[in-house]
Amino acid sequence: MAFVKIYKSSWFVKVVFVVSLFLILFVAGLGYKHITEVSESQSLVLETYEVSVELEKILSYLKDAETGQRGFFITQDSIYLQPFFKSRRKINNTFAELKSLTKANPTQQENLKQLNILIEDRLENFEIASKYVLKDQTDLQRFKNVFFDGKQIMDAIREKLNSMISLEKESLKKREEAYQNATRFTPIFLFSIIIFTLLLLYLAYVKINSNLDQLKQKNQQLLVFKESTNQSEIINKHGSWRWDIEADTFHFSENLFRLLGEKPNSFEHTPENFNRFVHPDDLDKLSKQVEQMREDKDLPFIHYRVIHKDASIHYLKAYGKSIVNSEGKTQLLGTTTDITDEIDYLNKLELRNQELELNNKELAAFNYVASHDLQEPLRKIQTFLSRLEDKEAINFSDSGKKYVERIHAAATRMRLLIDDLLQYSRTNKSDEVLIKSNINTILEEAKQDVAETILKENASINAAHFPEMKVIPFQIQQLFSNLLGNSLKYRSKDKDPVIDIAYESVYKKSDQRLLNALDENYHKIIFKDNGIGFKQEYAKKIFTLFSRLHNKDEYSGTGIGLSICKKITDNHTGFIFAESAPTKGAIFTIFLPK
Amino acid sequence: MNDNYTHIILADDDEDDRLFFEDAFEELKMATKVNTYNDGVYLMDYLNKKDAIIPHILFLDLNMPRKSGKECLIEIKNNDRFKDLVIAIYSTSASEEDIEDTFVQGANIYIKKPSDFKKLKKILSSVVTTNWQYHTNGLNRSNFLLRL
Repeated sequence: MAFVKIYKSSWFVKVVFVVSLFLILFVAGLGYKHITEVSESQSLVLETYEVSVELEKILSYLKDAETGQRGFFITQDSIYLQPFFKSRRKINNTFAELKSLTKANPTQQENLKQLNILIEDRLENFEIASKYVLKDQTDLQRFKNVFFDGKQIMDAIREKLNSMISLEKESLKKREEAYQNATRFTPIFLFSIIIFTLLLLYLAYVKINSNLDQLKQKNQQLLVFKESTNQSEIINKHGSWRWDIEADTFHFSENLFRLLGEKPNSFEHTPENFNRFVHPDDLDKLSKQVEQMREDKDLPFIHYRVIHKDASIHYLKAYGKSIVNSEGKTQLLGTTTDITDEIDYLNKLELRNQELELNNKELAAFNYVASHDLQEPLRKIQTFLSRLEDKEAINFSDSGKKYVERIHAAATRMRLLIDDLLQYSRTNKSDEVLIKSNINTILEEAKQDVAETILKENASINAAHFPEMKVIPFQIQQLFSNLLGNSLKYRSKDKDPVIDIAYESVYKKSDQRLLNALDENYHKIIFKDNGIGFKQEYAKKIFTLFSRLHNKDEYSGTGIGLSICKKITDNHTGFIFAESAPTKGAIFTIFLPK
Repeated sequence: MNDNYTHIILADDDEDDRLFFEDAFEELKMATKVNTYNDGVYLMDYLNKKDAIIPHILFLDLNMPRKSGKECLIEIKNNDRFKDLVIAIYSTSASEEDIEDTFVQGANIYIKKPSDFKKLKKILSSVVTTNWQYHTNGLNRSNFLLRL
């Protein structure tokens, strides 16, 4: 694993090359040393042979000298002395040769010195012997002594020479042994190092190859990525740009040109060229912001307009952020988006909003007309009618009384409609704030609203205790009194109305009707009555505006009351549901977010 | 002010309403003296006279030309001369906004004009017979709007 890790690392190749270089240098040095050693030993061998040969030569010269002398002794002819003199000269030459050959070997030098003395002795002995021959032939005894001395010296020389030759041979043998010891493993060692180096180089080669493959793959991916970026820029109507701050050079993406209504790379990538398209009114602002960008190395969201060749105006939005690239240079990467569609859409929305606001104002004005101006004449009609009924009723004929009664009923219904409509439009107000309120008090006030009916119908209301809730108080009161009024109106004919109001704190998940609810915790308020009820299939319909389940001859009503309830729970981002069956009473469940 | 009559003033620009109001008190046969004024300017002109008889109860319509009921209310409440004056708002609309505003400005009761003459009589008699000295102490928002 450790090796794999090293192999994968980026410095592996570098290390392998450095190591290989050193190994090759090492191998070269070792080889050089080895070859030098071989040639050295060769020259040593040669030297040893030369030394031996020279030593042999010395012996042979001495022998020549001896032979010449002996000839002289016998013949007394000095002609035989010629080889003796020649030998002497030759011995000197050889000696000099030997001296230089053995200068590295102190033992042999010492031997050579001793040999020299012996040779000098021998030669002296020759001369002495020769003198004896020339001067005095009588003293044979002394001559014999000298001659014997000569033989002894000669034997000593022979012995010395032999010992020197054998010494030289021995040293040669030793050298060869030492050299062989030293060089026995060198070739294998060198070979294995070279194999190892080759292996390392092979690994490096494989690594480089795989790196190259990876690089190729990455390049391919980059190419694909670049292309998909291009496409995404076209689809999303944005372009990107890069600003190398140190070099002060810009690069624009292809689509940035298209955002200006130009073909890609149709002009040089410089801010001056870009600015030619910027709307004159925005140029100052943009230049200032780009200046600022130079200092801050960041660009906040900026908006400006550009003008295309076809004179159409486009809205652009740009954003930039600086990064430091791998070479340590600061680059500002930016994105520019065409938000013309967005702006158009916003403008349209703005226009719609204005229209809506105007509509709302008109509606509010209408509300006022309905609440005040319409009510006033109606109230007067009713008041005059009541005066008429009070004071003049005795003067009416039967049909006159009936007509007045009908006028009265119609006016009452009109009042009901106006009041309810007014209530409904008042609950439209969405800017009411939620106030932490005591729901128990609100319920009491709602009961007050319908107190007259409660008394008349002999109804009993059992309410649970409620915690504080965040509500719009007057709307909740309206909601409660509408529900109470509803239960009282649709009472069962054979029993006194009973209304039970219960409370529960619930989680969103505990009731599947809250599946689409936004909040997690809800107040659940349940109004349960023992009235005539209705078919479950109408449970939703009863909350729609002007929907009625009964003829207005049977039950008076405008079909607005429960719509108001729905609207109020909507205003509180709550819910209201109805459950019922004919003659089984009705259950209204309200959920208000906590 | 030392007589036994209850002095009542109504400021309302609507002729019919003034008529109903006067008729109602006539029929109620209570010891009342009713004066009516056609708008806020006439009313304040009268009240600001030095020798004006300050009424016990002022019925104030809100929606009047020239000077509205709310403006009159503020003026009256800012004048110490009228500190004992009971002010009953007497209006066609009973919008939350109007009720809230007039309550905050210090009106004593808010009456929504009824559409039945009998009811009107009932309301007016109830307002006149209320012991305002006592009632003012217990003034609160929940019984500000008159319910009968």
